[in-house]
Amino acid sequence: MNMMTDGHTVQRYNFEMNHLHSLVLRIAELVRNQLINAALSLEKEDLELAKEVIAKDAEVNDLDIQASDEIVNLIAKRQPVARDLREVLTVGSIVTDLERVGDEARKIAKLTLHFYTDKQKAPNVQIVHDLMRMVDVVDDMLEKSIQAFDGPDMDLAVEVIKTDLELEDDFKAALRNLSTFIMEDSSSVGHVVETVLGLRAMERMGGHAKNIAGYVLFLVKGVDVRHESLEVVAEEVMS
Amino acid sequence: MESVVDTADSSTINVPPVDQVESETHESISREDRNTVGDVFVEDPRMTCRDVNVFYGEKQAIKAVTLDIGKREVISMIGPSGCGKSTFLRCINRMNDTIDGCRVTGEIKLDGSDIYDPELDVVSLRSCIGMVFQKPNPFPKSIYDNVSYGPRIHGIATGKEELDEIVETSLYKAGLWSEVKDRLDQPGTGLSGGQQQRLCIARAIAVNPEIILMDEPCSALDPIATAKIEELIDELREQYTIAIVTHSMQQAARVSQRTAYFHLGDLIEVGETDQVFTNPKHPLTEDYITGRFG
Repeated sequence: MNMMTDGHTVQRYNFEMNHLHSLVLRIAELVRNQLINAALSLEKEDLELAKEVIAKDAEVNDLDIQASDEIVNLIAKRQPVARDLREVLTVGSIVTDLERVGDEARKIAKLTLHFYTDKQKAPNVQIVHDLMRMVDVVDDMLEKSIQAFDGPDMDLAVEVIKTDLELEDDFKAALRNLSTFIMEDSSSVGHVVETVLGLRAMERMGGHAKNIAGYVLFLVKGVDVRHESLEVVAEEVMS
Repeated sequence: MESVVDTADSSTINVPPVDQVESETHESISREDRNTVGDVFVEDPRMTCRDVNVFYGEKQAIKAVTLDIGKREVISMIGPSGCGKSTFLRCINRMNDTIDGCRVTGEIKLDGSDIYDPELDVVSLRSCIGMVFQKPNPFPKSIYDNVSYGPRIHGIATGKEELDEIVETSLYKAGLWSEVKDRLDQPGTGLSGGQQQRLCIARAIAVNPEIILMDEPCSALDPIATAKIEELIDELREQYTIAIVTHSMQQAARVSQRTAYFHLGDLIEVGETDQVFTNPKHPLTEDYITGRFG
């Protein structure tokens, strides 16, 4: 039994809340797969896999719309309040962030097409090295942020928020590496520019995972910490 | 039997010890649960209630409730049936005096004056604290007489002209004037349910009350009539203090600035309505307003 969604006198209300909750988990699984496959397509120079990822983004969009419909119906029918209201609002926000993660994954898949459609013009593997390293960090953040929502687990949410600071540092370090690279080999400027966009996509995905973690704190505590410092977030969790 | 009201010095009021109260009823609620969550006090109270207990014979209906009601605020009282919210409301204008075997202890003050003072004239108290009930209950008289009756018996108006003005102003404030001005001589009972309820509100405000108590004023009305009453409550708030008991959580959320949640005679939580309905602090409040109360 999920304490956040169950326990209503009206069983149908439980069912609707649980369905919405499960939908978030389903969308999260889908976008994480999209990220992994997009990264894999880049690593393996797999154009077919990249195309698959791009095509599958429509599925994420459909689920996004389905979630919005369910939220609208639930608000209209049940007028949720207190933790039910926070759960519904949280789901709406999480789904929006997950849909954007899907968009960012698609950008990585497009990078594969740009880099490897013409094998003669493939970039030096060093260029995408940092980007590939960030994939694991971002996927871990996404997994933990969704686990934090499912729990709900505030400690895990705070961990994700902390990791995002590290990811920001990784992003800046990767940009520095690319600057160095371009100084050594100016002919790769086109690839570097595209890779910067790829790095930016990874950084944004981490940002979305952090947002999700912030929503979890709102869900449990009823406070909005999205624009707060980590110290403030930790204080909220401890209180 | 007359209601027994302990109105001696508040320090000597006979409030039963908490342990004794617990042994009498509701063992299911722990001691910790019984402390009211949230701020029961307001800066500039119109009404102060301190350690109010109400007993119906042996049964305790309200347990040591302390609560302030502020000036020009709407406070809603919510809770499951039998939680004591209506009983508490009825203490505020001594309606419980009329119930056999009902005993009220503690202290309730209106603008600093004890309303249970034995010297106090209950009839004039009730002109200061008007009440609107669940079912519209106009007198079987004309619309005009319904509104003018109070001012007349309380001696608020003397001449016909003055009375006419009070009737018009009251009906206007109750949002009913334009609908009834051409048929003031017709019976109040001939109006629709929503109009009757607004007539009752006009009747209540005709005697210049300071506080208006409303006990589920919309539960017998359709959604349109309900919306009109809610709009009226919002307008009346500029002049009056309003305490409303309602079973509709949405109504409490819409009309009030503060919400008090009662449970088995205890005041469980009081807070800003926005806070109570988005982030209640007590699990019992949360369970009740989210429909988990079993």
